[in-house]
Amino acid sequence: MLNRLYRWLDLRYGIGEIAEKELTGYLLPRNINEWYSLGSVLLVIFAIQVATGMLLMIYYVPDADKAFKSVSFIMNEVPFGWFIRLCHAVGSNMMVAVLLLHMLSTLMMGSYKAPRELNWVTGFTLFALVQGISLTGYLAPWSQLSFWATTVATNSVSAIPVLGPTLVEFLRGGKLVGPATLGRFFALHAAVLPVVIAALIGAHLFFLKRTGVSAPPFGRDETANPFEAREYHYQGHPGGIPFFPNYALQDLSSISIYFAVFLAVVFFWPNMPFTPDAFVPADPFKTPAHIKPEWYFLANYQTLKIFPSELLGLSVQAAAMTFLALLPFIDRSPERHPLKRPLFLTLVIAGILLWIALSVWGHLS
Amino acid sequence: MENEGRRKFLGVCVAGCTVAAAAAAGYPVLRYLAPRSGQGGAAKLVIPAGELKEGDAKFFEFAGSSAVLIKTSSGQLVALSAVCTHLGCIVQWVKEKQQFLCPCHGGQFSTDGTVLGGPPPRPLAKIPFTVTEGNITIG
Amino acid sequence: MIAKNILAILLLAPLLFLQPAAAVAAEQPETVCIQCHGSMPDRLGAPVNLWRGSVHAENGISCNGCHGGDPKDAANAMSPQRGFLGAPKEKDIPAFCGRCHPGVYKDYLASAHGRALGAGGPTCVTCHQNHQVMKASLALINEKSCTRCHSFERARAIRDAMSGTEARIVGISGRIEKFQVSGVDTEKMGKALFAVRNRFHTLFHDVDVNRVKSESAAINKELDKLDQALKVIDDEHARRRVVGGIAVAAALLLAFLFHAMKKTYD
Repeated sequence: MLNRLYRWLDLRYGIGEIAEKELTGYLLPRNINEWYSLGSVLLVIFAIQVATGMLLMIYYVPDADKAFKSVSFIMNEVPFGWFIRLCHAVGSNMMVAVLLLHMLSTLMMGSYKAPRELNWVTGFTLFALVQGISLTGYLAPWSQLSFWATTVATNSVSAIPVLGPTLVEFLRGGKLVGPATLGRFFALHAAVLPVVIAALIGAHLFFLKRTGVSAPPFGRDETANPFEAREYHYQGHPGGIPFFPNYALQDLSSISIYFAVFLAVVFFWPNMPFTPDAFVPADPFKTPAHIKPEWYFLANYQTLKIFPSELLGLSVQAAAMTFLALLPFIDRSPERHPLKRPLFLTLVIAGILLWIALSVWGHLS
Repeated sequence: MENEGRRKFLGVCVAGCTVAAAAAAGYPVLRYLAPRSGQGGAAKLVIPAGELKEGDAKFFEFAGSSAVLIKTSSGQLVALSAVCTHLGCIVQWVKEKQQFLCPCHGGQFSTDGTVLGGPPPRPLAKIPFTVTEGNITIG
Repeated sequence: MIAKNILAILLLAPLLFLQPAAAVAAEQPETVCIQCHGSMPDRLGAPVNLWRGSVHAENGISCNGCHGGDPKDAANAMSPQRGFLGAPKEKDIPAFCGRCHPGVYKDYLASAHGRALGAGGPTCVTCHQNHQVMKASLALINEKSCTRCHSFERARAIRDAMSGTEARIVGISGRIEKFQVSGVDTEKMGKALFAVRNRFHTLFHDVDVNRVKSESAAINKELDKLDQALKVIDDEHARRRVVGGIAVAAALLLAFLFHAMKKTYD
C-alpha cells in the first residue's frame, strides 16, 4: 500500500530524487557531533510554541479587563489548560536556554566564520527576536508581574537621549503601560514576531543549505577554514555520513532528551516561569516590592543598575550586542579550533563568567 | 546480519513508542478543544407570566439553543424552538400577522409551529412548560 | 547605500535587547502626618514608629484612616474642618475603632468586657495596643495580659477551646496561599475561609465558655469542607506528578531507542 503510494507520487513528482538529494544523499562531515542537532531541537521548540500559542488563543482574551480572568480560566477550568499554558510558558524559557547553547557551540567551533557570516547574523537576530517575543508575551496574562515587568522594561528606553520619552510612549501606546500596551504587545507577540521569526528561520536554513554544513574543527589535522572567496562553492562532505538515517536519528535522540527535560520542568517545577506576583491581577496603582526580569534579562538589568547613568548602561550593552552581532566581520582569522585560539577562548570564557556573575548579582540584589 | 535484526527490533519499539507518545500528546489537546458540557443556558428557566403581553413573543436562550415563548391574541401560551427547520436561521415574530417569518428564505410558521409556507421541511419543535402561580417554567 | 542601511539595521537590532531596567519605587508616598510627626520627640513622634509595625500599616491604613484630617495638606492637616478628630477619650475608644470594625464592636459591647466600659473595664487598646495595633490572634489571650485585671482560669479555658480551631484555620490558610501562588484559582476557598475566620473571630470577644465550645464545633465542620476541597486539588496534583514521571521516562526511553538505532548504522 505504502509502496504503491510512493510509486504514484514518485512517478509524478520525482520524490525519490528529492529524498536522494536531501536525505540519504545529503552527506555530513564524518566527525559531526551532538551539538549540531540543537538547531533541530530549536525548530521543534518553535513548533511547540506556535501550536500551544494557537491553542491558548482559543480561550485567551487580549483585553485588559478580561485577560487575567481568561488565563486563570485556562489554568483552572479548561481540561488540560494548565498543561498547554505551562508548555507555552516553560517552552519560552527553554527556547532561550537552547538558543544560548546553540550559539555557544557555534562560537566554540568557529562555525560563524567565512563563508557563514550571514548564518551567524540571522541567528543572532533570531536570538534578539526570541527575546522580544518573550518580552511581549510576558504582558499577555495581565498580572502584577506582567504589568510591572513591562513597565520597568519599556521604561529603560527613556534613557535614549532626545527621542527616549517619545519612544517609550510609542512603545506603550500611552504615557503609562495600560490597555493600549496590551493591544500592541499582543499583536506583536501573536502575529508580527512569529511571522518574522519564521521568515528568518527560513533565511537561516537557506544559508545553511547553500554554503553546506561546516565541519567541526575537532579530530582533524587541518582546522583552519578552507574558504577562499573566488567563486560560489557548496562545501560538501564526500565520504561523509548521510543525514538520513544516521544524523536524523541523532536529531531525534536529542529532541527526545529535550522533551525529557522540558516535561520534567512542566510537571515537577511548574512554578519555574512564575513568581507569586504572576497570579495577582495587574494593579496600576500598586507596585509590588520585588520586581525582577526573567533570568535571561538579569544580566542586562544589573548592567543598567551598576552604571551611574542609564544612558551609559544602555550604550555599553548596545556596544556589546553590536560587537557580538558583527563578530564574523571582526574575527577574520581562518583558524577554528578553540585551543589554537587562546585569546578568543579566554574572551569567551570571561564573557560567560561575566554574564553569569551579573545575572547572579542581579538576582540577589 | 545481526545488526539488521537489531535494527528491525528497535524500529518496531520506536514505532510503538512514537504512536503511544502521539496519542498521549493528542489526548490533552482533544480534551482541551472539546466543547464544555453544561454551557449555554440552564435546562430549566423561569419567566414571570406578567412579562408577556397578549400577542407578544419573548425570545430567550434555552439549553444552548434559541427558543421563543408567545402569548397568542386569544391568550394561549406556546413555547417553541426558534431555530428554523430549513437552514437554522432564527425565526422572527410578525405581530401583525400573528405568525413567524424566517428572514433567510421566507419560511412561515403558525403560532403552534406548523409550516404555513416556504421551504422549511418540518414544523418548529415544541418545548414543554408549566405555569404555576404566575410563573412560566420552561423545560 | 544598501550596505549602509543593513549596517544601520544591524546596529539598531541590539537595541531590542535593552529591555530591563531600574527598579521602581515600591513605597507609597509619605503623608504629611508622617513627615512632621516622624521627626518629633516622645509623645508626638512615638506613634509613627509604633504604627509602622502594626497590622494597619501592613494593610495601608494610615494616620488619617482613624484620626481624620488631610494627609496631603500640611497647613490644614489637623484642621477640624478637614475632618480631624485627634485622640479619643478612653470611654470613646471602642466607638472610635468600631467605625471600621462594627461587628467586633457589637460583640465587645455585649461581652462582660464591654459591659464594664467606663467602670474600669478594658477597651480595644488594652489588649490590642494603640498605634502598634496587633492582628487578632489567640496569642493576645495570655496570662500576663489577662491577669492585669482578673485571674487567668476562665480565659485559659476559652483559649484552650479555641486553639485547635485557630491552628486549623492557620494551616488551611497556608495551604490555600500555597496554591494561590502556583496559579490555582483559590478565590472561592479564600472567601469561604474568610467567612469562617470572621465567624471564629466573633468568639474572641465572647467570654461565655459554653458558647465558645459549641460554636467551635460548628466552625470545625465548615473547615472540614475546606479540607476536603484542598485534598481534591492535592490529589489532582499528585496524579499529575505520576503522569509527568511516566512522560519523562517515556521521553528518555525514546532517546535511548533512537540512540541505539543510530548505533546500528555506525
